[in-house]
Amino acid sequence: MKPFLTRIAVASAALLGSLLVAGCGGGASADTTPAIKISSVKVFGDSLQDSGTFGYKFTVQSPDNLIYAERIAANYGQTLCNFFVFTGTTFAANTAKTGCTNFAIGGGRITYTGAGGAANPLNVGTQMATYASAAGYTASDLVIIDGGGNDAADLVGAYLAIPKDGAQSYSALLGTLLTPAQIGAALQGGAATVAQIGGTYMTALADKFAAQIKASVLDKGATHVIVMNVPDVTITPRFQMVLDSIAQASGGGSAGATARAQSQALFQGWMTAFNTELAAKFAGNDSVIVVDFYKGIQDEVASPAQFGLSNVKTPACPITGLGSDGLPVYDFPSCTAAALSAAPPAGVSGGANWWKSYAFSDSFHPTPYGHQLTQQLIAKSLATKGWL
Amino acid sequence: MKTKLLPGAVAAVAALVASCGALAQSAGSIVVYGGAVQINPKVDSGDLTAPSLPGTKVDVKKASQVAGGITYYWTDNISIDLPLSLPFKHDVVGAGAIDGVGKLGTVKALPITLLAQYRFGEANSMFRPFVGAGLTYGYFFKPRATAALSGITGGTPSNPTTLSMKSRMGTTLELGGAVNVTRDWSASLSVTKTFIKTTGSLSTGQTIETTLDPVSIKFGIGYRF
Repeated sequence: MKPFLTRIAVASAALLGSLLVAGCGGGASADTTPAIKISSVKVFGDSLQDSGTFGYKFTVQSPDNLIYAERIAANYGQTLCNFFVFTGTTFAANTAKTGCTNFAIGGGRITYTGAGGAANPLNVGTQMATYASAAGYTASDLVIIDGGGNDAADLVGAYLAIPKDGAQSYSALLGTLLTPAQIGAALQGGAATVAQIGGTYMTALADKFAAQIKASVLDKGATHVIVMNVPDVTITPRFQMVLDSIAQASGGGSAGATARAQSQALFQGWMTAFNTELAAKFAGNDSVIVVDFYKGIQDEVASPAQFGLSNVKTPACPITGLGSDGLPVYDFPSCTAAALSAAPPAGVSGGANWWKSYAFSDSFHPTPYGHQLTQQLIAKSLATKGWL
Repeated sequence: MKTKLLPGAVAAVAALVASCGALAQSAGSIVVYGGAVQINPKVDSGDLTAPSLPGTKVDVKKASQVAGGITYYWTDNISIDLPLSLPFKHDVVGAGAIDGVGKLGTVKALPITLLAQYRFGEANSMFRPFVGAGLTYGYFFKPRATAALSGITGGTPSNPTTLSMKSRMGTTLELGGAVNVTRDWSASLSVTKTFIKTTGSLSTGQTIETTLDPVSIKFGIGYRF
């Protein structure tokens, strides 16, 4: 009995000892395998998702400053490059680097009304159709689509121009989706209906976008599709300045503040109309995640510290001039990480890293960290869906 | 593993119970036992510090493992118990603002416990309920993060976010009963509650205070030497 007891004691001690030793090397590790295998990421949209059509990205320039679509691609071990290049007048296929699957172009819109019309790949629908005409999708394709932000900005601009141009640009833009009868009735109905028809337009815009996504992406076999809704552009520095000028034009003070708040609520209502319709169009569709970008950036601006942001009002890039609309102009190619780090503005914290906690690079686009926060927002939806 | 083990163990006890009468858990006895333990953390998570989505919390799921231990009878009624087990592997999942994102990682836990027990009844009683109290050192190691954790914290496969959990001391209370099946063989079942907190950390710098307070159910068959 005694030797057996001794053996048990020794064995127990050895077991405990080995467990402790095993634990000592217990460094943290990560299993980076996503829940689903994605072998290609296709991107369609505007400047927020443009990997370099114009030779730069719409954020602070640096080789390691990835935009959110690139960060999501990286989560699946994929990289992105721009399918289109800007020739100076038009967009051509990228021949310097082939096999690129990011079709997004800065300035992209759901409805682009400039030169080239519907065939111009500045129409996000045309980007999607360009890929769909060449190839279909498989279950290992991830598709990331955004659009509508520039359309919303156009609508706000046209609405604000009504006193100057007699509603010419407003009715022209509305006319791309609504009937002359609808527009005529609204414009004659007074301020309330003039404002209301903006929401009608945005709802029709969402219908158009959803139909394009269905025809060129879902019907072509895509089963993993991320659709970004329209972010609240009224909280960008650019639109804050626009709203400030509305307050000023209304005489400032409390009257100005009221006018400012009313205008912001109106524009937000339009974007919400778009987002509500977009969400309804894809409700219950198991192949689509609609990411609430609108609320995501609202949350960030409402509680910056919670998101590690030190400044959500001032663009990090320097102002390089004034535009014809009287708003500051920025220059992305010269707004490099090195340039910003070399010249911290007076009073900022973080030393050379000061700009890394700013939300906006110029007055309308996020910094690389802003992109990271958006990537995290998307990743949360992906993980919840079981795709990451 | 556990599902195979338990029916077998139950059958063994039943056979032993049928075989003969009972004796002894008396002063000086050393009982070595083996069985299984399930640890079920009752998590009360704090919020992950910034930068994070407001209200980001975690939950730690239950885990089971083969286990055993050594009980030394100081007197007929007072015993000292040292449970031993292989490490438990717990899933850490998102909760609060990130409820639904699923598994953020796994962490191995090796609770090192020393209990003082008081056993009611006589040394040769057939059934002896007991209570215990002691200290537990929760040793957490080999945390392994998932792609989902990297995703929601801005990590990438080349620079993944990892997590860790701080090992901490806690207190444990126990309530159980032992059946003396034969002179040397016994079976016991106990429930323990451990009061223990930990601090989780991410390689991206955030921390989260988490109360684990697990309830464990332990079943064992012992042999007296």
